[in-house]
Amino acid sequence: MSIIVGVDIGNSTTEAAVARIGDDGSPEFLSSGTTMTTGIKGTVENIPGVVQVLEEATEAAGIEISDLDLVLLNEATPVIGDVAMETVTETIVTESSMVGHNPSSPGGKGTGVGRTVHIRDLENGAPPEGPVIVVVPQEYDFEVAAGILARALEAGVEVQAGIVQGNDGVLISNRLPTPLPFVDEVAHVEKVPLGMLAAVEVAPQGQAVRQLSNPYGIATLFSLSPEETTHVIPIAKALVGLRSAVVIRTPAGDVQSKEIPAGSIKFIGENQSLTVELEHGADEIMNTLAQAQPLCDVEGESGTNVGGMIENVRQTMADVTEKPLAEVNIHDVLAVDCLVPQQVVGGIADEFSIESATGLAIMVDTDRLLMERVAETLSEKIGVPVELGGVEANTAILGALTTPGIDVPVAIIDGGAGSTDGAELQKGKPVEHVHLAGAGNMVTLLIKNELGLERFDVAEQIKIHPLAKVESLFHIRHEDNGVQFFEEPLEANLFARVVLVTDDGLVPIDTKHTLDRIRTVRQEAKRKVLVRNGIRVLRHISPSGNIRFLNFVAVVGRLGLDFELPQMLMNELSPFGIVVGVANVRGELGPTNAVATGLIVNYCRRRDDAT
Amino acid sequence: MSDAGATQQQVTKENAGETQQQQVVKEMEFEEKGEAERGSAPDEVVIAISPAFGDQMHAQTLTEIPHAAILRELFAGLEEEGVKARVVRIWRSADLAAMGYDAAKLSGSGISISIQSRGTALIHQRDLVPLAPMELFPQAPSIDLPTYRHIARNAAQYAKGDSPSPVPQVNDPMARPKWQAISSVFHIRETEFVRPDEKPVELGVTFKGR
Repeated sequence: MSIIVGVDIGNSTTEAAVARIGDDGSPEFLSSGTTMTTGIKGTVENIPGVVQVLEEATEAAGIEISDLDLVLLNEATPVIGDVAMETVTETIVTESSMVGHNPSSPGGKGTGVGRTVHIRDLENGAPPEGPVIVVVPQEYDFEVAAGILARALEAGVEVQAGIVQGNDGVLISNRLPTPLPFVDEVAHVEKVPLGMLAAVEVAPQGQAVRQLSNPYGIATLFSLSPEETTHVIPIAKALVGLRSAVVIRTPAGDVQSKEIPAGSIKFIGENQSLTVELEHGADEIMNTLAQAQPLCDVEGESGTNVGGMIENVRQTMADVTEKPLAEVNIHDVLAVDCLVPQQVVGGIADEFSIESATGLAIMVDTDRLLMERVAETLSEKIGVPVELGGVEANTAILGALTTPGIDVPVAIIDGGAGSTDGAELQKGKPVEHVHLAGAGNMVTLLIKNELGLERFDVAEQIKIHPLAKVESLFHIRHEDNGVQFFEEPLEANLFARVVLVTDDGLVPIDTKHTLDRIRTVRQEAKRKVLVRNGIRVLRHISPSGNIRFLNFVAVVGRLGLDFELPQMLMNELSPFGIVVGVANVRGELGPTNAVATGLIVNYCRRRDDAT
Repeated sequence: MSDAGATQQQVTKENAGETQQQQVVKEMEFEEKGEAERGSAPDEVVIAISPAFGDQMHAQTLTEIPHAAILRELFAGLEEEGVKARVVRIWRSADLAAMGYDAAKLSGSGISISIQSRGTALIHQRDLVPLAPMELFPQAPSIDLPTYRHIARNAAQYAKGDSPSPVPQVNDPMARPKWQAISSVFHIRETEFVRPDEKPVELGVTFKGR
């Protein structure tokens, strides 16, 4: 009889399972433990984490680490993943020809066209001829400005609309004989060129500008020729969805939607090498990758953003493994398109525009030597023999097979932070396995960028918690529209906020996005990365590349703990007629601990085979 | 436009380039409209002013900002967001939180702004406990007129069920040593005007000097 521990070092968590092996060779599980992984997976920095999880698990089993007869480590194969994002377009405004933004309260509504005039010129000298758009800097108090405008209107000046620096749009509009449209909070109002033809549009509440976001609308206002109209498309595009906007016709002014040369990626396959430009988007990149399979390595164009990013991953990996740079091969790439808010270059109201970006997850192969080093060091440290107990994917399958109601042939999807792994077991055949780039961290990166969040950890929280809206201090509305009441009032800092429903209570998110928007971004990110990778994994491991040949699919790892992903996967896969669900390791642990449990099962099997 | 408007315009032209918002209004008149009642309009924010605010103690704050100018900025901030203002004088206390709490109970939206003569302010909500306001602006000497406008804008957004970012505050480490004693004396003076048994009174406000 002996007591052994299976330890699974993952990208983000380290898990352990303690079992007593009976005389008949069957395991009796005593306890399990989970802790955060220390350092990069597969390096000696993992050891503090391993020791901690061993202490935790042995304590739960009522024994000491010194009572252990053997520690089994997973043979963590690849997976150092890195994620990065590059914007591939940007909007540049020259000669301040456009203002488009969403001040919280523009004044009036409607559209006005005229020549731009500084408000001081309305009182000094001859009144300007023809329709005018008045420019009001912050120094003019709203009452003073309204007074000047009212007198000018009375004197016959055709004031059509205004561009205001302060947050005074409504105040000025309210004080005029008839309300006019005012775009306010234009921070750099001094950059507005004077004496130029301009159009101001303020949409009614709850709507977006229509005329100025329509190229023909702009053409109508400015009497543009068909040739000139083709040049205003970027302007119209930049103004889509905004509550208020100004377009100024300057002699050379222009708005450009520019593609940033992000570089190209070269996929070196066993049979052929293919190159694809990053700005062609994720679909093109993934198609090219599929054509280049089986993949030997990936290179980024040197001197470009993507080149730097790929070499960075390679360098980190070379440092960790102490292998020469040339021997570190990239094994898989996942590209995802997204839209990110970026500040407009040359904008005069600190505008943001939604630009395309491409996110990349990259994965590098490691080798067995690394884990052997970890095993040796660990053994010295705790004075217990340490062995490598089998390839991660195989042990994960064995662990998953402890789930009630499951049988071979079985496939698993093991999603963690850095990679999505898959394995398939058929009777009488060796286990097929695959490791693909892109998992939880990639989702977090997408959420962070699409919502324009400053901090990674906020995005991480959004990823793993459902949302709610605080409707009053006594009740919240969950994202499924269910209402929850409270006896005691909530904290003042939660008032009217979108919050995360966590185990520790409600946590406000500091963002202007609506609940629906955050939810859409979150679900889309999961769909684009995790669901897509789940299907990619199944295609790789199923015998003929056809998912229909699989019978049982079990989701293990942290992926299975996500509150919505298993359902999303099930919706996606149920048309293929396969059973897909979250594993329940040993009938009690849910999707976690599969590898640690599998290490022990594998150990018992090997002993059986030996005897 | 009247002649008064014309003179106003002269002032403005001479001072163009610097902020004249502070020079625009220095005085105001209150008209008592009887005991303040509980409002039902969801688009109102009640501004609670302390017993001496506006007509006693030189009608200006510690840093000599006219009370009239502050009220005007608060009105402007609310109006810009499309929310109505109602001014209520709280007599029973000069305590900022108590005033704000009383006013929040009177407010149709449940949101109130409370301000003392020395310039200290807060935003309150009727479901909160008195000493836990939505936003507190404890250092009166650091609050300038644009900040009062911003406070009103935030209060209006709370009333509309929005969640604005809290008003940024200047933290002046010298404010305490420099102002604390004066501020205390100021407040002690103000408490002399408290009438413990008097109900809150609704006020009409007319700005003068325009």
